[in-house]
Amino acid sequence: MPISLLFEQILNGIVLGSMYALMGGGLALIYGTMRILNFAHGEFFMLGGFFVFFLFAGAHITPFLAVPIAVLAAAAIAAGIQRSTLAILQRRDGWLFATIAATLGISIILQNVALLLWGERFQSVPYYIEGTLAVGDIRMAYQRLLILAVALCSLALVGLVLRYTRFGLAVRATAQDQEAAKVMGISTERINTATFAMGAGLAALAATMLAPLIAVNPWMGLPLLLKAFVVVVLGGLGSFKGAILGGILLGVIEAVGMSMTSAEWRDVISYSVLIAVIWLRPWGLFGVKER
Amino acid sequence: MFGAPTRTFSVNFALFLVALALFPVFVRDSYYLHVGILCMLFASFALSWHLVTGYGGLKTFGHQAFFGIGAYFSALVSIHFGISPWLLLLVAGIVAAILGLLIATPVLRIRSMPHVAIVTLSFAEIIRAVISNWRDVTRGELGLWGIRTFESFSLPLIGAVSFTSTDKVSFYYLMFLLFALVCFTVLAIMRSQYGLAIIAMRESENAADSLGVNVVKYKLFLFALSAFFVGVCGSFYAHYLLILTPSAVLHIEVIILVIAMTLVGGVGTFAGPIIGAFLLTILGEWLRGFGDYRMLIYGTMILLCVMFFPGGVAKLGSRLREFGGFSARVARR
Repeated sequence: MPISLLFEQILNGIVLGSMYALMGGGLALIYGTMRILNFAHGEFFMLGGFFVFFLFAGAHITPFLAVPIAVLAAAAIAAGIQRSTLAILQRRDGWLFATIAATLGISIILQNVALLLWGERFQSVPYYIEGTLAVGDIRMAYQRLLILAVALCSLALVGLVLRYTRFGLAVRATAQDQEAAKVMGISTERINTATFAMGAGLAALAATMLAPLIAVNPWMGLPLLLKAFVVVVLGGLGSFKGAILGGILLGVIEAVGMSMTSAEWRDVISYSVLIAVIWLRPWGLFGVKER
Repeated sequence: MFGAPTRTFSVNFALFLVALALFPVFVRDSYYLHVGILCMLFASFALSWHLVTGYGGLKTFGHQAFFGIGAYFSALVSIHFGISPWLLLLVAGIVAAILGLLIATPVLRIRSMPHVAIVTLSFAEIIRAVISNWRDVTRGELGLWGIRTFESFSLPLIGAVSFTSTDKVSFYYLMFLLFALVCFTVLAIMRSQYGLAIIAMRESENAADSLGVNVVKYKLFLFALSAFFVGVCGSFYAHYLLILTPSAVLHIEVIILVIAMTLVGGVGTFAGPIIGAFLLTILGEWLRGFGDYRMLIYGTMILLCVMFFPGGVAKLGSRLREFGGFSARVARR
């Protein structure tokens, strides 16, 4: 393989990996704060995809507006769902499996509501910007560069908010110890809802960015959900930074692996990496060993 | 829960099995027999999954792998080597059990539930991807057909027992025997001292460990046994329906269905998975007319059960009685 092709593959991998990082980051945020493995995460991705399809491809609203509206709408729906189901379950004892099962149910419901409302047709969204950047032998569509830029900026923004704002401090405190945070006067219920919405918003953002490259349909969330699972295990469950690194790493591994085999073995590659990592480092590549 | 068998339980369970055994005597319609077979198939699957999840406390999301492996292994060997499905029923179970041991080993080192769920799910996705991509052998999503069915034989008193697609009675009784085998094995294990150790392990792994329960051995045993039964179910499925696709036997929806059945029926009880499997299979068939609404109703049932009936249908009776004040609260789970 010529070196420029390999370089292009790695670059493609980073672009794809930044999407995995968005998905995984949201999942990690939710797990880290409220210890819920969110099986409905893929459906918030799907909602983001449909919303941007209607706003941009349907109503021709500029992406500068369409993307934020789609993300906020998906986050608002997520907040409503969290309030009416998961928040109630968390107040009970022994909710660990109950919440997983509940998110499974929510996932099936959202998928099928989308199917009933919007049909099973695969819809396509046009590129936000046309054209290709060429540097030497390496070619990259502007759309892909846009994806990478948006993903990195938004992840950095979330990271900064978590690190430097009072809200971020409250989220981190809640993640560390819900009880203690409550004693300190933090409304953990509100923090949980906000974090859930934020995580779902990141998933929706990934979909609005990926929509021009993949088809929008009710089942589009499942493959990305499975990838996000791999990413959070690689990065150490609940670690936002780990999920970002894990996502980009997974994207690169997949892209390089695919160029050596073929596209259909992509999933086998990523799941095998996961199982190998679990064998060697059960706490994840970037996580800290617990107990 | 699993001390000496209570009289009511024994009577109810015996009546249930007798009713199942007599069903084909009164109902000859092959569609209803087919639904009966599916009920028992999924009940066996749910019981086996529950053995690991409900009793063993390992929340796995990858049991569809054992179902798919059992089905594809059995189908392919019967096609290419002409080996009798009767023998393959057992061999497929053993293959699935070995695979179960293989995947259980890394999982055992992890105590975090989400990790177990993700790793088992990933394992099943690997199997699914390999089987769908290996088109030369499995024909992928086009579907594998030409699978041999069970050979006929004749029994004294009963006469010839033949397995043809028009006559579902023989399949029904074969599935009935498999289902009864799974039931009695689960009961026997859970009522033995091993069962006590398993429950102790679920309640507190450290405490059980400190009392001399070999936690690793028990978990491996449960996982392998459960994979064995699911593999046998997969093999039966292949030689009964005679067509396989990766999305029918290996899709994540398969395990979601089994989880839904167990939740609706009731986690932590023997009857729960059985009740849930019968209920949801029959409901699923009944809802076929509703087409797209079917999965929506499934999802809603999962959510409602988790939110409002944590004990599932199996405990609904006692909850209602409690509610009506007929019986004093019994302080047990």
